[in-house]
Amino acid sequence: MRSTPVRFGLFAVGAAVVALLPLFVSEFRAFELARVGIYVIALLGLSVLTGYAGQISLGHGAFMAVGAYTTAILTTRYGIRDLWTIPLAGLLTGLVGFLFGFPALRLVGAYLALATFALAVAVPSLAKYGRIEEYTGGGGGLLLNLPATPFGLPLSASDWLYYLCWGLAGLLFVAAWLLVRGRIGRALRAIRENELAAVSSGISLPAFKTFAFGVSAFYGGVAGSLYAITINYVNPDTFPVGLSILLLTGVVVGGLGSLAGVVFGALFIQYLPLYASDLLDWPLSRLGLKIDTSAPGAPAVVYGLILLAVLLLGSSGAAGSLARGTRALTNSLARRP
Amino acid sequence: MRRKLIPLAAVVAAAVLVTIPGAFAGSARREAPGVTARSVTIGGTFPISGPASLYAPIAKGMQVYFSYINARRGPDRKRGVYGRQIVFKIYDDQYNPAQTVQLTRRLVEQDKVFALVGGLGTEPQTPVRPYLNQQKVPQLYVSTGATTWGADRKQYPWTIGWQPDYQSEGRAYGDFIRRTDPSAKVAVLFQNDDYGKDYLAGFKPAVGAGRIVAEVGYEVTAPSVTSQVAQLKASGADSFFVVGTPRGTIQALVTAYRLGWRPKLYVNSVSATDAFLTQATAAAGSREAVNGVVTTAYLKDPASPKYANDKTVATYKRLLAKYAPGADPNNGLYFYGMAKADTFVQTLYRAGRNPTRESLLNAAVNLKLKSPWLIPGTTIESSAKSPFPISTVKLTRYTNGAFTEFGGIIKTR
Amino acid sequence: MQQLAQQIVSGLALGAVYASLALAIVLIHRTTHVINFAQGEMGMFTTFVAWSLITNHGFSYWAAFATTLAIAFAGGILLERVVIRPVESASPLAVIMVTIALFVVLNGLASWIWSAETRNFPSPFPGVVTVWGVSLSRHEVGAIAVSLVVLALLWAFFRFTRLGLAMRAVAIGPEPSRLLGVRVGWMLALGWGFAAVLSAVSGMMVAPIVFLDPTMMQSVLIYAFAAAVLGGIDSPLGAVVGGFALGVGINLLSTYVDFVTPELELPVAFAVLIGVLLFRPSGLFGRAVVRRV
Repeated sequence: MRSTPVRFGLFAVGAAVVALLPLFVSEFRAFELARVGIYVIALLGLSVLTGYAGQISLGHGAFMAVGAYTTAILTTRYGIRDLWTIPLAGLLTGLVGFLFGFPALRLVGAYLALATFALAVAVPSLAKYGRIEEYTGGGGGLLLNLPATPFGLPLSASDWLYYLCWGLAGLLFVAAWLLVRGRIGRALRAIRENELAAVSSGISLPAFKTFAFGVSAFYGGVAGSLYAITINYVNPDTFPVGLSILLLTGVVVGGLGSLAGVVFGALFIQYLPLYASDLLDWPLSRLGLKIDTSAPGAPAVVYGLILLAVLLLGSSGAAGSLARGTRALTNSLARRP
Repeated sequence: MRRKLIPLAAVVAAAVLVTIPGAFAGSARREAPGVTARSVTIGGTFPISGPASLYAPIAKGMQVYFSYINARRGPDRKRGVYGRQIVFKIYDDQYNPAQTVQLTRRLVEQDKVFALVGGLGTEPQTPVRPYLNQQKVPQLYVSTGATTWGADRKQYPWTIGWQPDYQSEGRAYGDFIRRTDPSAKVAVLFQNDDYGKDYLAGFKPAVGAGRIVAEVGYEVTAPSVTSQVAQLKASGADSFFVVGTPRGTIQALVTAYRLGWRPKLYVNSVSATDAFLTQATAAAGSREAVNGVVTTAYLKDPASPKYANDKTVATYKRLLAKYAPGADPNNGLYFYGMAKADTFVQTLYRAGRNPTRESLLNAAVNLKLKSPWLIPGTTIESSAKSPFPISTVKLTRYTNGAFTEFGGIIKTR
Repeated sequence: MQQLAQQIVSGLALGAVYASLALAIVLIHRTTHVINFAQGEMGMFTTFVAWSLITNHGFSYWAAFATTLAIAFAGGILLERVVIRPVESASPLAVIMVTIALFVVLNGLASWIWSAETRNFPSPFPGVVTVWGVSLSRHEVGAIAVSLVVLALLWAFFRFTRLGLAMRAVAIGPEPSRLLGVRVGWMLALGWGFAAVLSAVSGMMVAPIVFLDPTMMQSVLIYAFAAAVLGGIDSPLGAVVGGFALGVGINLLSTYVDFVTPELELPVAFAVLIGVLLFRPSGLFGRAVVRRV
């Protein structure tokens, strides 16, 4: 266990890096990294639920969809500034998650996975339902305004998105950290390790589990809201089941029960699919094999195999240790005068 | 207490940094991004994998044609266009608009493409349209027939479609039925999304009130359409209009045949290609399942005996065999991709020896092109007044395994 | 009336498709307590193998069918040994994640090897049957029959064979079974092998209806999950009844209930799944799967 000042130091270094990065990267990278920030927020929520409380969720994409649609409807229909819809989207989605927590209470392990999987499948098609189509735009979706820098700030739109997403990510990171380090975090971990033991030591399962679902959904909703703002569009195709799978992958790869790991997980899920075919090209060309790695499916294979490797080399294994390695590195760098 | 101050300080520091003006302004913009003396880089997003991946051959067809253009000597005796090789960057957006946005920005800001060509899908292309127009990057010849690509050009001047729009195509079937079969009782099966509804918006008013006796939607993800087709059959209709993407359409035709229902068949052009109808024939085990299907055509059909000796179709088959061995030449989507790539190449020639984005756009929206890829007697024409480059179709009927065009040329716009 | 009969019969045919995959899900769950998210993709992949044998290697349908089942069996055992075994003792999350990783890999491999084109897959039962104005393809009749035959075989297997008995014993109590000399590890591997065979059968029944492409089984999987849960996730009989009930139910709902429009079909399956898990966790025929705390 590292001491608290070191953690603060690390966080400060991380925050400084995040804050300065846009000065050194292109507009496009800033836009891409804004998406990483969004993933960080989504993964933080999932990490509280899955990593700490041990509740599997394959439906996190559905919560993002709820947040995204909230923002899209409020901005396009009621003309509310997108920035103000973010907390609303978070709170509304949090409420939805909290309510979903009640039925989820009765489901353990694999059954919860099934139920949340079904949620991920069902929510996007609900947006097409005729009676609410007027609000959701049906299959055609809702087109938002292009992201723009507000209040006359001297920033490009991409840089603004970057700071918006990462600013919120930092804030929510601290909030999550405060949450899991205290009494609540201990209770959640106790539930993860052994529900019966947790109950017998006086922890209320319904209270904590629904709370964890609510918190997780709140984060998902904020992330979804930002997602809608950055891509200036929502429709059912924007939230495929694959998104939920991707998010769960991010949490696992980042290391379960590690908040810092989510940054690694977010980078992983953003960049791996884009560069998977290059990753594959390298060993194949070494082996002298001429295989078309740009073919459809090839990136998915790489991505799946890496996920598999991470899982097989120890549940919080490879990525966990990779993340630990990175942390150790930043640690030692931070200590240098 | 002091410990708690440290993160606070960090947050303050971050907040201060946030407000520092974007220090490094971008360097002065070059005349034409993506254009060098030896190359022109263009790009597009397509569903290479995922649920809509059956459209992937369009991207392949375009790529094949550009490879050919790069290898052959053009009218100016140079390879490529005015000696510039065409570099076509394809990204797989899996038909997910969130990916399309990211990949399109990548094409524009990172790969610095000259223009976007042939991007596929109404929904994926919708959110990138305002962005590309803001950046003044041409979004040419999108691979979707939604009416908005032509109809909303005032608002989005940098965007233009290519194929006849769905509403007009729907109207063509409606007109045909009203004219030739006034007592028709029509049942409609449509894909339950904006694509299906766009067709219906043209079809319904044209066919006339009262002729539609039943209409049922189906979900593109549904494993089967049997229930829907059985409902439509029970309506007692004698004509069956199917508006779907290929898989649902094949299922619908096969199911109608199996249920012993033999109405007059009308199928929208996206799904009524020889390859898909051949598939339906094989699945039903009988030609009767697809015999008499009426659809519209605006491109030559590479599978039709009518064009067996056509020069363009022969070139198409030769190129496909050379650059994409194993690809099925009867799959009209390859032909569609090559025809579209050819339109782009001709546009690029018309944009001049030193093309700019403005000159390219200008060429694309003021096009007059006798394209050998289109059915004879039609041309590709666009103007400020009529921003639908292809606005001519012919009705065509599938009989005994081949399409035969009939009737006159129909102006859709 | 004829319309009603037609909707019920087509619903049964669709239900048979769901049931065939649900049987595979149930089998794996019953023997190894794993919910396999890759079950549909295993079926899709093996169906592509069969397609390749028929079109590229000149196999007859039944030769390809048998070869594919053998390949599926070996593949299922291999998967269990290589990727499931190492995480078996870890958390349920790890096992689920492994099956999800398999889902991604198999789907990617199929598009990579065979491309994403939609293809015809032959049916061993061509033609149409019409009785009293109600029509059904022979293939659909065949699919219903196959699901019932598989159900009977499974029942007989678990009821009458030593191997089946041993597998049941392992599912109930791995430790006591080990003490009694049952080779627990192999029983689990066999469970995967058999489930792979069942999903291959399912894939080959689905493909002539839905057409063969890499996404073929994805919507079927959702309905199969709902069917398995509806029937009680450990009961093969329940899986088949659940599949039929779902197929017929959704057909009738979308035909006769106005507000159930096509976009509600998946949410209906979802509602069934959640509803059963909440209000009757043992499903129609199974044991309780959740506990009250």
